[in-house]
Amino acid sequence: MGGGFALRDLFRLRAPLPRTVSALIALAASALVLAVWEGVARLGLTNPVFFPAPSAVISAMMRMFADQHLAWNAWVSILRVWSAFLLAAVMAIPIGMMMSAYRAIGAALEPIVDFIRYLPVPALVPLSIIWFGVGEETKIFLLWLGTFFQLVLLVSDDMRRVPQEYIEIAYTVGAKPGQVLKDVAFRAMLPGLVDNLRITLGWCWTYLIIAEIVAADSGLGFVIWAARRYMKTPEVMAGVFLIGIIGLLTDQLLRAAHRRAFRYL
Amino acid sequence: MTAHLTFTNVTKRFGKVEVVATPFNLQIARNEFVVFLGPSGCGKTTLMRMIGGLDTPSTEDIRLDGAPVGGPDWRRGMVFQSYSSFPWLTVAENVAFGMRYRTDLSEEEKLGRRDHYLDLVGLYEFSDTYPNRVSGGMRQRIAIARTLAAGSDVLLMDEPFGALDAQRREQLQGELRRIQRRDAKTVVFVTHDVEEAAFLADRVIVFSKRPARIMAEIDVRARLGEDRTLEMRDGADFFALRNEMLRLVRASAGEEP
Repeated sequence: MGGGFALRDLFRLRAPLPRTVSALIALAASALVLAVWEGVARLGLTNPVFFPAPSAVISAMMRMFADQHLAWNAWVSILRVWSAFLLAAVMAIPIGMMMSAYRAIGAALEPIVDFIRYLPVPALVPLSIIWFGVGEETKIFLLWLGTFFQLVLLVSDDMRRVPQEYIEIAYTVGAKPGQVLKDVAFRAMLPGLVDNLRITLGWCWTYLIIAEIVAADSGLGFVIWAARRYMKTPEVMAGVFLIGIIGLLTDQLLRAAHRRAFRYL
Repeated sequence: MTAHLTFTNVTKRFGKVEVVATPFNLQIARNEFVVFLGPSGCGKTTLMRMIGGLDTPSTEDIRLDGAPVGGPDWRRGMVFQSYSSFPWLTVAENVAFGMRYRTDLSEEEKLGRRDHYLDLVGLYEFSDTYPNRVSGGMRQRIAIARTLAAGSDVLLMDEPFGALDAQRREQLQGELRRIQRRDAKTVVFVTHDVEEAAFLADRVIVFSKRPARIMAEIDVRARLGEDRTLEMRDGADFFALRNEMLRLVRASAGEEP
């Protein structure tokens, strides 16, 4: 622990925390929660059918990896999340930028986007099944629906926050509107955009589980739902855990990429 | 002296708000350093932005070398008070950005000009640094070097030193004046700082409160000559001029339009 860090710094308001200390505290807190949980279960304070110990959850997860294609199911879910997410992002970024670059486009689209944005995705499951059946299209559609309309407004806000000075600097060195959008506005909003994409990716998992519970024979949502039918609580928890772990890893990777890509911040 | 920039009967309204009500007429000579001095929100910035093509006059026109100015281009460079450089580009890339859309220069010419102007404003050793790692004064130098590298012969400056501390401001004023004499640029500089106006200008235009109207014109060159030095700032002539201008600004700020 470097830099003359003292124990009393932990209790000073907004005192800086060295990275190693921060990582140790994070690990210790998680370990503590698991230990308490394990202890409560071992002492027989909870019914193992409803609340199994973390060790039982982990051994269930190992068993599922070995015999029940858990890795494949996780992979199927990840693919669904990313394909819907990328589709939503590729559409939302240009449309959101246009909405704030050209007031007329914004005026036309904002009420429509706002209306759809407030529709709860689960309410559209029946409609989606009528339109697309129970195949992959339904899942991608539901995930896209849940993220695209949110993302469009976030992108449009990011674009609105680009300082007018940047736009005008570009114009006064002779840039055309397309170049202003591409070389300056997009570049200026990129760090905020990447943050918003990272947050939206998290929502994708919520909608994925809904989609996989309603209509699927693969994926983590399906695994969780199938285990529930036989009251296999450790397996239900193992599925939920795995989603949490995937989310945690993805988020940390994206944060690290953000720090590397936007070193100038 | 030939007129480089001409305002002929220019007026400007934003909706119902009259920014320039009385037809505005002004001629600015080539290589002249003109300062627009007036209270905040009086419309002086709008007049300058119209030269840059960022705002359009409501009536009549502004001409550059006899031709209507139209939209913005690299011949009229702009330096803002804040957000004056791009944080995602290095210092050198920011300066080179001034020439990015010029197709008449070769890549070698662009590199040569970039390094020349980096050197001129004393930023060569910071070429690969990002703007957030350098001081506010250096960031304004980046913007000045960018407009010079772009090849602008009209520099439009909107309170570019407004956010700097007094010492840095004096230093940059001296540098700007020196560069302007050396490279022969026409400068339109907007400020509400009387001392800054007196130090920099060949001619100061004092504006009324909005709607903008010319209250007075002061021929600073006739009073202080061409060369401006730090020592001069302590001299009696400068002090007298400054006080005279201060009285004019107070009068213009107090007067109801």
